Amino acid sequence: MNFINKFCRPIVLSIITLLSLIPFYILLLLAFSPASRNFSNGLNLMPQLYFNNFIEAWNKSQIGLAIFNSLVITIGAVVVIVIFASSAGYAIARFKNKVNIAIFNILLVCMMIPGIINTVPLYALMNKIGGINTYWAMILVCSCNALPFSVFLYTSFIRSMSKEIEEAAIIDGCTKFSAFWRVTFPLLKPVTSAVVIINGLGVWNNYAQAVFFIQSQSMRTIPLAISMFFQQYGAKWNLMAASAVIGVAPAIITFVVFQKYFIKGITAGGVKG
Amino acid sequence: MAIVKYSIPKLKRKKINLLNFLSLNLHKFMAVPALILFSVFFIYPLLNGIGLSLTDYNGISKPNFVGIKNFIDFFKDDRARNDVVNTVFFALACAPLLNIFGLIYALILDREFKGKSLVRAVVYLPAVISPLIMGYIWYFILQPDKGFLFSITKALGFTISNSNWLADRYMSLWVLVLVNVWQYVGMTMIIYLAGLQSIPVEVNEASKIDGAGYFQNLWYITLPLMIHPMKINIITNIIGSLSVFEIIVALTDGGPGYSTESLSIYIMRMCYGSFTGYSTAIAVILFFIILIPVLISFKIMKAREFEV
Repeated sequence: MNFINKFCRPIVLSIITLLSLIPFYILLLLAFSPASRNFSNGLNLMPQLYFNNFIEAWNKSQIGLAIFNSLVITIGAVVVIVIFASSAGYAIARFKNKVNIAIFNILLVCMMIPGIINTVPLYALMNKIGGINTYWAMILVCSCNALPFSVFLYTSFIRSMSKEIEEAAIIDGCTKFSAFWRVTFPLLKPVTSAVVIINGLGVWNNYAQAVFFIQSQSMRTIPLAISMFFQQYGAKWNLMAASAVIGVAPAIITFVVFQKYFIKGITAGGVKG
Repeated sequence: MAIVKYSIPKLKRKKINLLNFLSLNLHKFMAVPALILFSVFFIYPLLNGIGLSLTDYNGISKPNFVGIKNFIDFFKDDRARNDVVNTVFFALACAPLLNIFGLIYALILDREFKGKSLVRAVVYLPAVISPLIMGYIWYFILQPDKGFLFSITKALGFTISNSNWLADRYMSLWVLVLVNVWQYVGMTMIIYLAGLQSIPVEVNEASKIDGAGYFQNLWYITLPLMIHPMKINIITNIIGSLSVFEIIVALTDGGPGYSTESLSIYIMRMCYGSFTGYSTAIAVILFFIILIPVLISFKIMKAREFEV
């Protein structure tokens, strides 16, 4: 057993790590190599520092604009989700009346329904009310898809909090409504950060809804811009890899910085006991 | 009596107007805005979709009621039947693989060692990236002749016959399954890790004192206690895989032919092909397919997870 612990464990661990990292390495390798470099005869895995792919990809794919669009949609959706889900979670956790319980049950059932099911009728609705190619349509659609899970997270978190602080605020003259926004909401930081990061990345990566609701070139989000770019320049792998690196980088940086909250949020939604 | 009634001095009551009432009871209705938003952009389309699935709506002209014609068409449609088989196959192949590897990963990464959180983060990393972009990355790796997998095997001195996996009718679906498993194994692992950490240390110590080896401990102690996370994982994996979309778009785009097309891609294609009514009918059928694991999950998890 000692032998296994000493020698097998590091080997297994490095295999696991490599298995997850190799595709990223290949992506970087492609993105930093000139187009003339050929990998099929004689495998050379040493990276080169060649930045022209990034410049060319940036100019041709208009990914700068796509990053801006994705940012607007992601920030908008996250703000909507946090405001609506936290207040709903508070009401459901603290005031058990029939309406609130019914709302919670509706959301729980809908949590299991993937967005693709209602995307087509939603598209018909958006066509009617002029939501195609607008920020607000994407923001509202994405936040609605994320709402059930976020309400669930907020509800279980608020339930585990003590009521005393709110009660003190109420004695000091707050209404219950303002007690939430002034006292409870600032205390929800851990769950808010989990909600922000999980849903922020989800909206940032969203393709299934974006492909329906965004059709004009100037409104494209990152996944759309990259897929369009791939269809146009399919043979130029280096350019495609460079654009993919640009598209992936914000998500990876966010994940690395906020990793702790992220995993906490995932597990809070999943397992207890 | 009337005299008595009027002789009692009335307390000056605060006038209850609507505004006052609302400001005092606002907290009770704080869940309502969320419900309204959700109803307009989720529930209404969901119900409207059922209505549209009974029409010949094409996205432009006025929908005409055609009864269950779309559903009859669906069951006669070879392509649709093929897509149902692909979708269900994909889900049923992904779920066990994700769980086996997720559990093994979790068991390996549960022990204390240097750099534990780093390895966990690395394993989880693929899951935070858009499956579309992830699919494109694998596209580079799996291309015949030029792709990396084949360059590597060539450099190691052996060649894979029939190397164009993505263009092969049977291989391509398995490639999609494997890429999906590779991407989301971290997500499954995290749930198992949380489960493993909730096992009290005493339980493991007791079994060690009783003389159980590692595998005995695993089989008799750990695995039975992992049933609950396993249920959660299997259900969420099946539901997630039934609506698979991006990976297929990136890697095979449903090809060759329609051999890797899933129902969600068929929905999109039919919607763009102006068969809006038909595509909502497909969505309704996908909904019923997804409802099966959802109902099972509610039955299994009961109040334990979702206590109100």
